[in-house]
Order: sequence, then structure tokens, then C-alpha cells
Amino acid sequence: MADVSFQKVRKAFGSAVAVKSLDLAIGSGEFVSLLGPSGCGKTTTLRMLAGLEFPTEGEIRIGDRVVNAVPPGQRDIAMVFQSYAPYPHMSVAENIAYPLKKRGVGRAERDAKVASVAATLQLGALLDRKPRQLSGGQQQRVALGRALVRDPKVFLLDEPLSNLDAKLRAHMRAELIELHRKLGKTFIYVTHDQLEAMTMSDRIAVMHEGDLQQFGAPMQVYEKPANLFVAGFIGSPAMNLLPGALESSGSGLAFVRQGLWLPVGAGGQAGQKVTLGVRPEDIALGSGPFVATVRIVEPTGHETIVMADIGGQSAIVRVQPDAAHVVGSEIPFAVRTSRLHAFDSVSGARLDLAFALPAS
Amino acid sequence: MKTLAGRIAFNLFAWTVVLVTAFPLIWMILTSVKPQFELFRIPPTFWPEQITFEHYTRLIYETPFLKYMRNSLILGFTTTIVVVVVATLGAHSLVRFRYPGRERLAQMVLFTYLLPSVVLILPLYLMMVWLGIANTIFSLVIAYTTFALPYALWLLRSFMQGIPDDLEAAALVDGATRMEAFVDVILPQALPGIISTSLFTFILAWNEYLYALVLVNTDEARPLTTGVMSMLVSAFNIEWSLLMAASVMMSLPLIIIFAFLQKYLTRGFGAGGVKG
Repeated sequence: MADVSFQKVRKAFGSAVAVKSLDLAIGSGEFVSLLGPSGCGKTTTLRMLAGLEFPTEGEIRIGDRVVNAVPPGQRDIAMVFQSYAPYPHMSVAENIAYPLKKRGVGRAERDAKVASVAATLQLGALLDRKPRQLSGGQQQRVALGRALVRDPKVFLLDEPLSNLDAKLRAHMRAELIELHRKLGKTFIYVTHDQLEAMTMSDRIAVMHEGDLQQFGAPMQVYEKPANLFVAGFIGSPAMNLLPGALESSGSGLAFVRQGLWLPVGAGGQAGQKVTLGVRPEDIALGSGPFVATVRIVEPTGHETIVMADIGGQSAIVRVQPDAAHVVGSEIPFAVRTSRLHAFDSVSGARLDLAFALPAS
Repeated sequence: MKTLAGRIAFNLFAWTVVLVTAFPLIWMILTSVKPQFELFRIPPTFWPEQITFEHYTRLIYETPFLKYMRNSLILGFTTTIVVVVVATLGAHSLVRFRYPGRERLAQMVLFTYLLPSVVLILPLYLMMVWLGIANTIFSLVIAYTTFALPYALWLLRSFMQGIPDDLEAAALVDGATRMEAFVDVILPQALPGIISTSLFTFILAWNEYLYALVLVNTDEARPLTTGVMSMLVSAFNIEWSLLMAASVMMSLPLIIIFAFLQKYLTRGFGAGGVKG
């Protein structure tokens, strides 16, 4: 049973289309990330679900209720904003109590709930402070507290971690995962940070220019990106995308580009423009049928990133930190053929091709 | 040493400016408590040899001064309330809602402010006559609103542009209606702007002379500015002592209002609601 669903939802601001035609069904209790670069429509999607924007076309449901015309306050949702948006003139306690006050909850019950939420979020000592006296991380807890106190059906989070420093971000990420596990509520999380999406979500919806590109579990999106955009967007460092073409070779086909020649077992047709996708960890430097030139070596400690030139295009390779590579040297390499990706260069769609290494 | 000399020079300069600005006010107060015979003495005395409040009692008991004062207070407060209510809601609409012609509307409002007010007196007067409200305080409220509102609207608009959208959105999601979100969240944030606007409007209504002179000519509706002039200043004689006493009393409401509100004027500025 889907908890939240979008059916053919379109949103245009004048002539600018923010969301093209979105179909998305999110299950009850799921943690779903809307992931994409800025301007991809993810925040607009979230704001439509919150009731802060109205869809131009289509239907949005929460539970089995169509909420297109339901005001935000009656949708049984809570939202955490990127800016946290604590009410500056109210104390922490008043901030957290506000949603209850608007629902006519009595004072005694309000105080009890605020105290319990404050305890969960370790805000107990700060209840009398004003937001401007709090750090970014504390303000964010206040925003979370305001969401938690109402016990809503769906939590909406709009890039809640992006204003925190790296250390606090990692900490809050873990706390949010823990919170989701404890509450068992539906979380919809907007982010442009694929690491957040990968680590926290049950499923990721990758968006680009108002279109849903792929909707699947993090590892599925990583292992089987649906198209060139997803392939290039998910993964850090990014997947190497090497354009080439399929050509006839003996009885079968082969992927050919400068510096690479890979027999193709099944699928595709001769003459088709194909982009080969190779993740940085799927290139093995040291031995193999191909040759690359080392351009830049970046040791990060736990691994080393090598920028190498493959047939006139630079590619990123992830190697063990103890591997010594000399800048300017030519080294042989192989690719893990079972982990290669192929995309139609024109449409960008994923192709199911089976590659092999050339017989040496 | 250099900084000390600089500080002394700066203080001297500042005090000179303050004295030059304040001298007429001091002279006004001193004159208002001098007995009649001391007013025209040559050479003039600075400190009164004898302090008297006879001009104040004469003003209050023997002239329609209190009536003018009442009219001015009604006029000032009514105009301020009308202007601030309309401008606050209008500015909120101009900042938050999307509708066709929004920017054009804001520009047109500003354009009306660019017209010299003298140009509008006659049309306004004819309009008041036609509406049957000429010679009333209410006609002055309308007239003052026409030129205070555009400025107030722009002042509050720029003020409200500084209030993050997310605050109102958060209130809506938290269960507030639009009006509740406005009252609970936007108004407290806009308070310094609202207070500046109120002060501006009240001072304008309190000090205005030209419209009051043209639109109103009965004592029942006359505010202090024109009332005091017509009562104390004639072609042949100026009642200096009464005029000074009246001036002191006219200044009092503004001084009191400023004393109470100036702390609100600075409070809230710089205390942003959103970090980032």
C-alpha cells in the first residue's frame, strides 16, 4: 500500500516547467530520497507534497486521500526546511509547541510532549533559549523537534544537513537513520548529496530537469544506472564515460574506441554509437590488454586516485594506496568486464551488452 | 595623544551640531515660561527671571487649543492605523503572492508618491465635497492616507522581503492558516518595520499643514497646525507667548511616542531568523 503517490504530476511556473510528468509511489514507512542537481525539480516535488505549491496537473495522494486541495496543515505531514526556519521570536519550547498549539492541544499535554521530544533530541537544557542563541546543529534539532512533536504520517526533509559542517553532518545522518528506524514513519528526503541518499535511503528517486530518471534501491541505482545521467551522477568519483561505437568483428560485434577494443557477446547492432561506462574501481592498472598514460596521482590516504589518459580521454582510476604510479609513465590495464555499463550515446538509455576481454 | 585630540575634536563638533539643532527648542521652552513683560526686553534674557505657567493656563482655558489637540490626536492615530493596516497587508501580498501585474502594481503605487501633493489638493477637495465629507477630520484622514500609504507600502515591502519565505511555509505546515501564519510569524518579524512606518505616518499626520488648511475650515475639525496658526497669528499681531506654549505642547506627544518606541526601532534589526 503506497503511502504517498504522485500521478502524472506536472508543475509549471509560467513557461518554466519544474516537474514534467512525475509518477512515483512511495511505500508506508519507507525512507525515500529525491536526489538530483539543483533545478531538477526535487524541492518543487517536496513542496507540492507539503501543499506549499499546487500541481499544474496530476494528482497527489497521501494514504488514500487526494490532497491536491488540502491545506498544508491538514495533510498530516511535517517538514524540516533547509534553513531550519525556527521562529526567531519564540523560545525553543514555544517553537516545538507551536504545531500542537495550532491543533488545539491543551497546555499540560503540550508541555509533556515538548519535554519528551526535547529529551529525545537532547534539547532539554536549551528550552528557554531563542533560536539566535543556538548553533546551526541545535537549530536543526529544534526544526526536527517541531516535526517530531506532532507525530505525523509523513516526514518531509528538504536538504536538512546541507548547512552543517562535515563532522556534524555525518553525525546527524546517523541520527536521522536511527530516528527513522525508531519511528517507522515515511521519510521523504530531498538532497543533492548522493552520499546522503546512498547511505540513508531505502530507495532513491534520481531526478534531472523535471524528469524522474530512476527509482530504485541505492545499490540497484549504483549497479544498474538506467541511463547516462544516473551513471554520471551516482558514484564518487564519477563513473568514466567513454564514447565509442559497435563494429562488426569476425562473427560478432565489438565496442571500439581509441585505446579500447572489447568483444560484445550479445545485444546491440553494428554502427550503433555506444558510451561505455566504467567505474573507477573497475579499472585494474598493472596488467592487461590496454595501455593508459598516468597524468595525475592523488593519494587520499585510504586509497589513491589516478587520472589516466585512455585513448585521448582522461579517466579516473581508484587504486590501492600502496601502488606506486609514476606520472607520465605508460602502464597496461584491464577492465572488469562483468561490471561494465553500456549506454546508447544518442538516447542515453542503458543497453544490456555482455562484454569480454579481447583474447590476447 | 593623536586619538585623544581627535576624540576631543569629534566631541566638540558633535556638541556644536547638537546645540545648533536644539537651540530653537530650548529657546521655545524658555520663552513659553517667561512672563509677558520679559519677552520683548532688550537686551533679551536667556534664563527667565521669573517662571510662569500663565500662558499654558490661558491656552488651555481660554482658547480652543484642547479641541485642536483632540482633533490632531484623532487624526494622527486614525491615519496611522488605516495606513499601517493597509500597508502591512498590501506589502505582504506584494512580497508573498504570485499574481499577474504584481510588479507593475508596486511601481504604480510608487508613481502616485512622485506626484507633488499640491497637484492633488483641488481634485481631493472636490472629491470630498462630492462625497459630502468636506470639512471633517475623516476627509483629512483620507487625504493623508493618499500620500502616506505609497511610502509606507514600499517601506514595509522592502522590510518584508527580508523575512525568509520558509518561516511562513513552516507555520503553514505546522497547521496555521494563512492569516494565523501572518499574525504569529510574519507580524512579529516585521514589527520594527511596522513601528518605523507608524512613526513616519503619525509624524506626517501630526505636522501636515497645507491639506489641513485647504480641506478644513471649521474649529470642529481643525488640527493643531492650522488651528494654532489661525488662532494666534493674524496679519497684525502674533501672540508669541501663547504660540511658544502651544508649540511646546504640540511637541510633547511626538517626544513621548519617540521615547517609548525608539528601542523597538533598533530591536529586531540584524537578528535574522534563518542561518545559512
